[in-house]
Amino acid sequence: MTSIPRPARSAPVRCAAGGTTAPGARTRVLVVDDDGRIRQALSLALDDEGFAVSTASSGEEAMTLLARDPVDTVLLDLMLPGTDGLTVCRRLRARGDLPIIIVTARSESAEVIAGLEAGADDYVSKPVVAGELAARIRALVRRRRPDTAAATLTIGDVEVRPDEGVVRCHRDGGTADVHLTRTEFRLLVELAVAGGKVVTREDLLRRVWDYDYLGDTRLLDVHIRRLRCKIERDPDHPALVLTVRGSGYRAAVRADADG
Amino acid sequence: MPTVSPRRAGLLQRQLPMTWRVAIAFAAMSMAITGLLAVVTWHLASSYLLSRREQGATTQAAVDAHLVQEVLRDPRRNWPVDLIQGLAGGGDVTVALRRQGTWTVSGPAQDVPALPAELLALAGSGTPARQRVVAAGQPVLAVALPVEGGVYVEVAPLSGLDSSLRFLSAVLAAGVGVSGLLGLGLGSWAGRRALRPLTELRDAAARMAAGDLDARLPEQDDADLAPLAATFNRTADDLQWRVQRDARFAGDVSHELRSPLTTLVNAVAILRRRRDELTPTAQQAVDLLDADVHRFRTMVSDLLEISRDERIDESDLEECDMVDVVTHAVGARPGIVVDVATTPPKVLADRRRLDRVVENLLDNAAHHGGGAVRVGVSPSSDGVRVEVDDAGPGIPVELRKEVFERFSRGGIAGRREDTGGTGLGLALVARHVRAHHGRVRIEESPFGGARVVVEIPRGTT
Repeated sequence: MTSIPRPARSAPVRCAAGGTTAPGARTRVLVVDDDGRIRQALSLALDDEGFAVSTASSGEEAMTLLARDPVDTVLLDLMLPGTDGLTVCRRLRARGDLPIIIVTARSESAEVIAGLEAGADDYVSKPVVAGELAARIRALVRRRRPDTAAATLTIGDVEVRPDEGVVRCHRDGGTADVHLTRTEFRLLVELAVAGGKVVTREDLLRRVWDYDYLGDTRLLDVHIRRLRCKIERDPDHPALVLTVRGSGYRAAVRADADG
Repeated sequence: MPTVSPRRAGLLQRQLPMTWRVAIAFAAMSMAITGLLAVVTWHLASSYLLSRREQGATTQAAVDAHLVQEVLRDPRRNWPVDLIQGLAGGGDVTVALRRQGTWTVSGPAQDVPALPAELLALAGSGTPARQRVVAAGQPVLAVALPVEGGVYVEVAPLSGLDSSLRFLSAVLAAGVGVSGLLGLGLGSWAGRRALRPLTELRDAAARMAAGDLDARLPEQDDADLAPLAATFNRTADDLQWRVQRDARFAGDVSHELRSPLTTLVNAVAILRRRRDELTPTAQQAVDLLDADVHRFRTMVSDLLEISRDERIDESDLEECDMVDVVTHAVGARPGIVVDVATTPPKVLADRRRLDRVVENLLDNAAHHGGGAVRVGVSPSSDGVRVEVDDAGPGIPVELRKEVFERFSRGGIAGRREDTGGTGLGLALVARHVRAHHGRVRIEESPFGGARVVVEIPRGTT
């Protein structure tokens, strides 16, 4: 999988490390769906769950709204008239790390993976239920706050500063900041904190996505792939984020490099 | 009353397969041709031999008659009895001389005077004559020649000729027989060869009937067969399309239902949150609505899942620990003992579907058996076995297959309103287990209720 679009490192980062929500303010959600009744029902129900909801009926409208009014999360239906959901997702991702949850028609592999590879952080399948969606949104917004006391973590030549939300690559005599989405960042931190021990897929899903394990490892695998594309020298032969077959993933420690 | 009478096909046509009919037709044709040739050959050969024989006999008779004439003309000898006897000479030719109404006969006792009168009359009137007759059951050639003052007759048997002809006809008959056998062989070979596309057609149709809708005939070069193959393949395409369309229908319906369902579910959620603000009647209505919208939602997602392609995508396969799956599914459900025997092997499977299988079995036990009491995980002959026991009423033997059908209610009408199930749970279990080439069956539980046994093979790792 080499076709994963990498966000340009120089892209302006609008929501860097946590969005613009003031403490105590309602989390702002943009619902993009072409069905007016669904927009209305979801608005009412999400509002009930404590979110500030705005709606858009097309990708174009969503882009216009977002340029004017930043939000904390986008709920994006992949089946949209005009510019389709995948394109919208890719454009949003190219502009920054705004959390995106896609709504897929079916939970079959192809569509979910396409959406995740377009940069979505999470997905829900139709019919979308506000209560479940709210839990996902909360997990996603919370994702920027990893619970670790360490100021600096290292995996190989990569330095991670959890507090600042910064990832630096010390490679080839230089230092480069790597821009990760908050999901990728959180994944990396979870692996780094474990310090070379295996973190099971279930644990990663639970800690990063707040999933009580759903058996959906595609979500995890796609994000690991994206993460590797950004931090590994050769994403096809990872040296930093290692797969432990049948179990999970672990970060490389010095012993791996020496061995 | 109209009666349908079976088409009156010939016995041969109705009972024998086509290859044999072709073979027999070939054999008959080849026997007819060689038989005709044999008959012609026999006729030509026999008439040639006969005419040679007649000619020989006639010439001999003429020479003999000449001798007799000489003797008759010689006044020194007045009765050529010796000569007649000498001419007969102990051979198979009978020699006879009629002079002045008296017969002198020598040779194998031939009833010479009984020869046709016309023959003798002809010779008597001075014309040489010959005739084939049957004397004493033997075919003979009688040659009658006029001599001085009488008739000279030689009767030669044709029996020697007869045996030659019999031998010839035996050879010819054998030839006809052999050609018939060759025709049969050739016909059966040609028939099989010609019918090979039909055999392929039969095999393809059989595969299709067995459920393999991808069965197609290879493209045919032969102008006679190409349309057949094309028609078959077109029909198969059509059938496959229809079957898939029908299978997709439930999926499409569920798919379309999800938009209004989204509205419903979320609107009901808002009502439920405001339950306390409602009058008691409205509260009851919201409760009913809430429960059934939930069931509706489960049913739609089950229907979607069941109408999906059964095959497992290669990329969805991973090594799964059934103990993990069961432990996770049992999770928050109280009162279920997880019983793990030795070390059950890991299986290569789609974890999502395994989760679904175990969840559905637990749900099923909850809906129909008062809840599962024990879930056992143990090694099976070729993989892992999961047993879900409940202490409910059990399932009668005659319904144990039926409960895996869609919307089967286990024959217990009237329970529908109590259960909250969708009627698809066990059907989905059966489908997912089948997709993993596994087995599922129902037994009696030692706890008094039903035991559902699922066996998933290890798969290739």
